[in-house]
Amino acid sequence: MTGRTETLDTAAVVRASLRGRRFNPAGVAFEATLLLMLLVSLLILVTLLADIVIGALPVFRDRGVDFVTSGISLDSSTAGVWTALLGSIGITLIVAVVAFPLGIGAAVYLEEYAPDNALTRFLQTNIRNLAGVPSIVYGLLGLAVFVRLVDLIGLGGPDTTAGRNVIAAGITLAVLVLPIIIITASEALRAVPDTIREAGFGVGATQWEVIRHHTLPAAAPGILTGTVLALARAFGETAPLLVIGVATGFFSAGSAGLFDRLTGTYTALPAVVLSWSRQADPVFKENLAPAAIVVLLVVLFVANGSAVILRNRYERRW
Amino acid sequence: MTELRPHFHDELAHLERDLVVMGEHAGRMLSDSVDALIASDVPQAKEIIAADDVVDDLFLEVHQRWLETMALQTPVAIDLRLMSVILHVNSHLERIADLAVTIAKITKKAKKLPHDPTISTDLREMGDIVGEMIRTVMEAFEARDLDRALALPEMDRPVNRLNRKMVRKVAGLASDPELLEWGVRMMVVSRTLERAGDNAVDIAEQLAFLLTGEFREFTDASHHD
Amino acid sequence: MGVAVESRDQALVESPIVFDVAGLNVHYGDFHAVKDVGIQIRRNEITALIGPSGCGKSTVLRCFNRMNDLIETARVSGSIRYHDVDLYGSDVDPVQVRRHIGMVFQKPNPFPKSIYDNVAFGPKIAGFDGDLDELVEQALTQAALWDEVKDKLNDSAYALSGGQQQRLCIARAIATSPDVVLMDEPASALDPIATLRIEDLMQGLKENYSIVIVTHNMQQAARVSDRTAFFTVDMEETGQRTGVLVEFDETSTIFTNPGEKRTEDYITGRFG
Repeated sequence: MTGRTETLDTAAVVRASLRGRRFNPAGVAFEATLLLMLLVSLLILVTLLADIVIGALPVFRDRGVDFVTSGISLDSSTAGVWTALLGSIGITLIVAVVAFPLGIGAAVYLEEYAPDNALTRFLQTNIRNLAGVPSIVYGLLGLAVFVRLVDLIGLGGPDTTAGRNVIAAGITLAVLVLPIIIITASEALRAVPDTIREAGFGVGATQWEVIRHHTLPAAAPGILTGTVLALARAFGETAPLLVIGVATGFFSAGSAGLFDRLTGTYTALPAVVLSWSRQADPVFKENLAPAAIVVLLVVLFVANGSAVILRNRYERRW
Repeated sequence: MTELRPHFHDELAHLERDLVVMGEHAGRMLSDSVDALIASDVPQAKEIIAADDVVDDLFLEVHQRWLETMALQTPVAIDLRLMSVILHVNSHLERIADLAVTIAKITKKAKKLPHDPTISTDLREMGDIVGEMIRTVMEAFEARDLDRALALPEMDRPVNRLNRKMVRKVAGLASDPELLEWGVRMMVVSRTLERAGDNAVDIAEQLAFLLTGEFREFTDASHHD
Repeated sequence: MGVAVESRDQALVESPIVFDVAGLNVHYGDFHAVKDVGIQIRRNEITALIGPSGCGKSTVLRCFNRMNDLIETARVSGSIRYHDVDLYGSDVDPVQVRRHIGMVFQKPNPFPKSIYDNVAFGPKIAGFDGDLDELVEQALTQAALWDEVKDKLNDSAYALSGGQQQRLCIARAIATSPDVVLMDEPASALDPIATLRIEDLMQGLKENYSIVIVTHNMQQAARVSDRTAFFTVDMEETGQRTGVLVEFDETSTIFTNPGEKRTEDYITGRFG
């Protein structure tokens, strides 16, 4: 009897407490503040983009694709980003060729082979620190080492360039993004569950076979995403290039062959933006520079977009 | 030590308590049946026959609970052996009560016949011993006392001896047909008491199995002299 | 009667010893995980290792295929003789060991590949040059999975249910024609029906393989195994907990009349 009465009481208590939604002013205020913060950030971004697009609009309207395919020029009516775009793409390709294998190799060693000791942890910590080093420092390193090295092995181009070319810039930026690639690849490898490695070892695979057939393929989407983002970073980087002598003024490269383009004087999209924004002719400053930024952004969006697509396509569940 | 299955072990204890109650009933029924027989007390004999229902109910209840426990708790080791023992002891006690009923029924039929005092004395002695055996083995069961269980065959020996001598004693009554009829009925009683004793010994064997994990018969019927 | 019944015990025929373990100790760094274990694993039998958490049963299992080598701090001492070869001898290649001793893990862990590739991987790296399709079919059939997957061999293994994935892992383990199959709580992540299928499968597998299974499910050990080893956790004088083998006997003996009080207390639920 007692038990039954208690049950009824409990039911009544529960029923009473379920009723009546209460207004929570602190919660609502907090939520509103957060929303406001988000809106402010968005507003700044949108303003910036709008400013650039409005400036760039006349250029694309008047000249269309001609702006993209024209070379560098002192005349604001014919100047285009073609030389700079080729320079940036060249640099980025060299970054990919250099940083991709180095970064993934280092990550595989750190995650799969290195013993878990003080030295390994020291290395990992410092790779993280390197990722935070200001990019200008890498520029100095590039000037001191890679420019001379490239010149020394005969890829320095004409004496006026002496190693301050796409190759040296590519290697420098490769070193700049290497920590990012190592970190993202390490994280992708770490995300591969140990149960998959155990399964590989369990059927009698060697360490190399486990990595080659299971760990790396499983980590590939994460590694690719990270690498593409790192390349995008290299694509937009300016400061180190300035240090290792990216051309910011006019130079003639109109008919140069591939080798000359790689070894000779070069420029890159961000450098052109900087250069144009300092020109006396207001057309350069107010229209051409924003237009170049639009080209830069489009390339970056395409790169990031492809990274997202890659990830979604190959992402696996364990 | 932490008891991880208190509910299950409570259930086992409950089953065992039911068996002890059954043992008390069955033992008393057997002793009473011999008293009633010798005193030709038909009303008491009828009470004994009625009391069998109590034991039968207990038997069914233990059996049902046993099945449920077995199905739900999957006992192992000592618990599994106890479950096996409970099932056997349950049957043995139910059997002993049935044997008491057999004797009580003979009381009614033997009432009007003349008695032989020597045979009556023997039966009384047998009844006393078997009653004591049932009490002893059930106490040993409760106390998990292996030594007392092992004493059962020794207690059973005089019962077997008196039973074997019964044929000759009854044959001595051949001169008087009425006395002979009584004697033949008493042979059945003697045989019944002997079987009750065997059931008590079987319970002791079960107890020994519970405590040692090894089953062996105390007396080997094929080699019995 | 003239019939002499010598013994009521249904003693197992003593089949040849596959693993002979003596004085096995395993340390992880300073932690003494397993102490002085001696046990024999016999051919075509299922040996179950049971005991409470931390008793070292999985550790012992992982010594049999040198899986402990993958843990840097693990140290194994004592003797494990596998077909009379010192398993931890300096000239023994752990990779070769694992080709002879397959393993099935606690959680189904198929490779993120097709069903076919999951089974074919082991034989491929072992240099199998026969008919791979036939081998895959054989392994899947032995693992009682063939009928369910024969029309979707190129589908991802992750499309299978948990129970199917675990049977795929069993197929993968037996595809390399091992001599022993180790199972580390193979059914602990499965539902009861899938569990019963795995248990039933094991009875068929022991015709061809010797099986060692770690399980925390005592009834499972009772149902599937021929011999059972009961491990428990001991407190050492230093206050450290270490795994010890309490009793190793035929499963029927362990579950009807164990020789050790500690075994009995554990399996009847009086363990503390």
